[in-house]
Parts: sequence; C-alpha cells; structure tokens
Amino acid sequence: MGNTSSLVIDSLCDEEGEEESAVACLYCDFLAQQEQTITNMMGAILKQLVGRGDIPKDVREAFEKGKKEIGGRGLLLSDLMRMLRIAISSLSQVFICIDALDECLPRYLPELLKSLSDIVRECPKTRIFLTGRSHIREAIQKYFAEAVVIPINPNTGDVRNYLEMRLDRDDEPEAMDNDLRADIEKVILDKMSDM
Amino acid sequence: MRWLSPLEPNDRHQGVRTDRFDGIGEWVLETSEFREWRGGGGGADKAILFCSGNPGVGKTYMR
Repeated sequence: MGNTSSLVIDSLCDEEGEEESAVACLYCDFLAQQEQTITNMMGAILKQLVGRGDIPKDVREAFEKGKKEIGGRGLLLSDLMRMLRIAISSLSQVFICIDALDECLPRYLPELLKSLSDIVRECPKTRIFLTGRSHIREAIQKYFAEAVVIPINPNTGDVRNYLEMRLDRDDEPEAMDNDLRADIEKVILDKMSDM
Repeated sequence: MRWLSPLEPNDRHQGVRTDRFDGIGEWVLETSEFREWRGGGGGADKAILFCSGNPGVGKTYMR
C-alpha cells in the first residue's frame, strides 16, 4: 500500500505550514527486515522529527548522556523514547506514517505498537497513520481499541484512470484504436468486479 | 544523523512518490475518516488511522 502511504505523507507535508508540525514516515519491508530492529525504526522516526532544523538542545543532551552511559555502542529503546518525547513536545503537531506494518518482523511488532501507544498517550498531539494487510488489524486493536479502519479495495475509478494512462503511453499506438481500447478496459474492469 | 538510525525512510518515500500516478487513490484523502483523523478531533482515542487491504491493492497494483 505504498501508494496510499506516499499520498498521505505528501498531503500532510503539503499542509505543513507555519505551525510547528512534522511528518515522519517508515516503510516496513520483508526484504530489509535485518536492519529493521525496534531501535532502528524508532530512531528513524526520531531522526525525521528532529532533522528539519537544529536538533533541540535537550534532545542532543539526552543523546550525549546516553552515549556515555552505554559506551556509544547503540541506543536503547528507552533512550529513544525519552528523546522522542522531548522532540515531540517542541512541536505543535506530529504525524507518524508507517507503511506495510505486516512486513515488520513479528518479534518487534508488539514493541513497536506499544511504543506508539505510549507516545500517543503521553503526547496527544501525535497522529498515527498505518497501512497493512487486513490480518494485522487484530494486533493493532490490541493496543489501539479505537483505531479507525479504512478498507482499501480495488477501486473502479482508480483502475480506469490507471488503464487510460497506460494506454496513452502504449509503445505501439498504431496498433491501437478506440474499439480495442474500449475492449481492454471492459475486460479488465469486468474481471475486477468478479474479484 | 546516522547515529540515530541507519534507516532512510525519506529516500524510500522519494522513490515511491516518483513512481506514483497522479489522481490515483486520492479518494482516501476525501473520506470523512481521514479528514477527522487529520483534523485532530477526538483526542488520543482517535489518533490512529489504519488503511487495510490485500497485497497488491495499493502497492504493487497501483505503482
């Protein structure tokens, strides 16, 4: 559902105005699970929230302090959560968008959802946008009983627009005429309604 | 900023948005669910919006 996520992210970024709001995104991916540890994921969110300008002094201090304590070997989830709270408190609105939550490694998913629910509870100005396959819904609702769900189904209007765009870019326009074009659209749209 | 995380979701986002087709999927932004979530009403309880769908519905299919 990268399409929906990227649309939403762009629409939120476009509206980022003078008010101090920030958008952070995260794309979960089966192919990159190795490096998608809980600390890397939360770190990536933090990085985007503080990365827009100067790193707030207290975030940097929290980091320097943490670095000394753990010998610079890596950040702990609790360090990141502390820094995230500080970073969010300096903003008036924060959006966190996570794509393909079902591709997050199962062993990190509960921690990820728990961390997000802690953030939402402690920083109510945080809004979270998630996408994923339907089966992940139960896991989400364990942490967010009130989560609002929008089912994304193949949408006739979307498919029609997409087809028209692709047919306009056809490699062999001389082999195309209006009848063939109409046929292609009809067959595909009929197939879709059978799905 | 790499010290915070090696992940670069922004790079990935740039890739996805370049491949995106204009006008497709925008109905989501017009739903009342999205607008309410975006507007921030309803407090912490309404802070989460989840778009669910089968593989290929929005990602592979539309991209």
